[in-house]
Amino acid sequence: MKSDERTELTPEERVEIESLPRERQPGRLLEERTLQSLRARGVLKQRNVMRVRIPWLAAGLAASVALFVSGVTVGQWVGSRTVVESMATAQQQTAMQAAAAVQRAGSAYVTALMAFAAVADSSSNGAFAQGREAALNALYAAAFELVQIDPTDPVAVTIREGLEQSRLEARQADNSAIQSVVWF
Amino acid sequence: MLDGDEQAFRTLYRRHTPRLYQFALRVLAGREQDAEDVVQETWIRATEKLGQFRWESNLGTWLTGIALNLCRMLFRRQDEKWLEIREDLEPLIHEPQEHERIDLEDALTRLPSGYRTVLLLHDVEGFTHQQIGNQLEVSVNTSKSQLFHARRALRRMLTPLEVEKRGRAK
Repeated sequence: MKSDERTELTPEERVEIESLPRERQPGRLLEERTLQSLRARGVLKQRNVMRVRIPWLAAGLAASVALFVSGVTVGQWVGSRTVVESMATAQQQTAMQAAAAVQRAGSAYVTALMAFAAVADSSSNGAFAQGREAALNALYAAAFELVQIDPTDPVAVTIREGLEQSRLEARQADNSAIQSVVWF
Repeated sequence: MLDGDEQAFRTLYRRHTPRLYQFALRVLAGREQDAEDVVQETWIRATEKLGQFRWESNLGTWLTGIALNLCRMLFRRQDEKWLEIREDLEPLIHEPQEHERIDLEDALTRLPSGYRTVLLLHDVEGFTHQQIGNQLEVSVNTSKSQLFHARRALRRMLTPLEVEKRGRAK
């Protein structure tokens, strides 16, 4: 740079200018500062989930613990409710099962009586009396239980009373027979 | 970057910022804080105006233009006539003392902001006078004059006084 009046650069001057560094790193915080400004303006949205900061991590852990505890609590409550409901259901199922058993037993009883009636003519007198007594005993026991269930049920009461009267008369007849035997 | 992808922005930022920062730092005579503010504001404006950018052109040049405008705003705040040719400024240029050695980088910081800006754009960044005129909103002649004065001032600063004295003695 020898003359003030030259307008063009000399080759030496050009080399000197071209040797100037073209890049320089700014402060490390500038990038984050710039990104923060852009995020605040809604230009950028953070997608990198690996850049979780410690306060967020702590908040996440606290939320997880709270979720776990509330889950256990709710689970226990739901569990206790389920047991109560299960017991109620079991009781309901037992009553229904009992009713079904009564129905099945009644059908079997009637079916057995029908079978017995079908063969009664060809059966011996002892077998007939035994079958009839068994049927009456079953009918009496059933009437007895029905009156226990509902003492105001006139049908059940009438059947039981009729059967009791019949049994009483039969017992008296038996006693007469025995006496007759004794007497004979 | 257009859909707000932060990772894409970081990639773009890291690729262009070192050059952008160096440019702003030179234009602003080594004022680091101002240069960082300019870089940050450049990216903010660039993302806002990205829709206007034509991707077939050079993104670096476009960013430099934005940064330059921000530097101009700073200069204007300090001196409305920062780009006028003022002969009275010449004696105010901080020339080195007799045995002081300064390098080109130091000499650039001692130039008046108008001189420095035009010289940097023309001789360092490779802008034409027409492009400088468009960027700074001045005429081509003003750009040429600024460059002439800038080079002259720079030579005076970089020429050791004893060499200059010997040259004058011949």
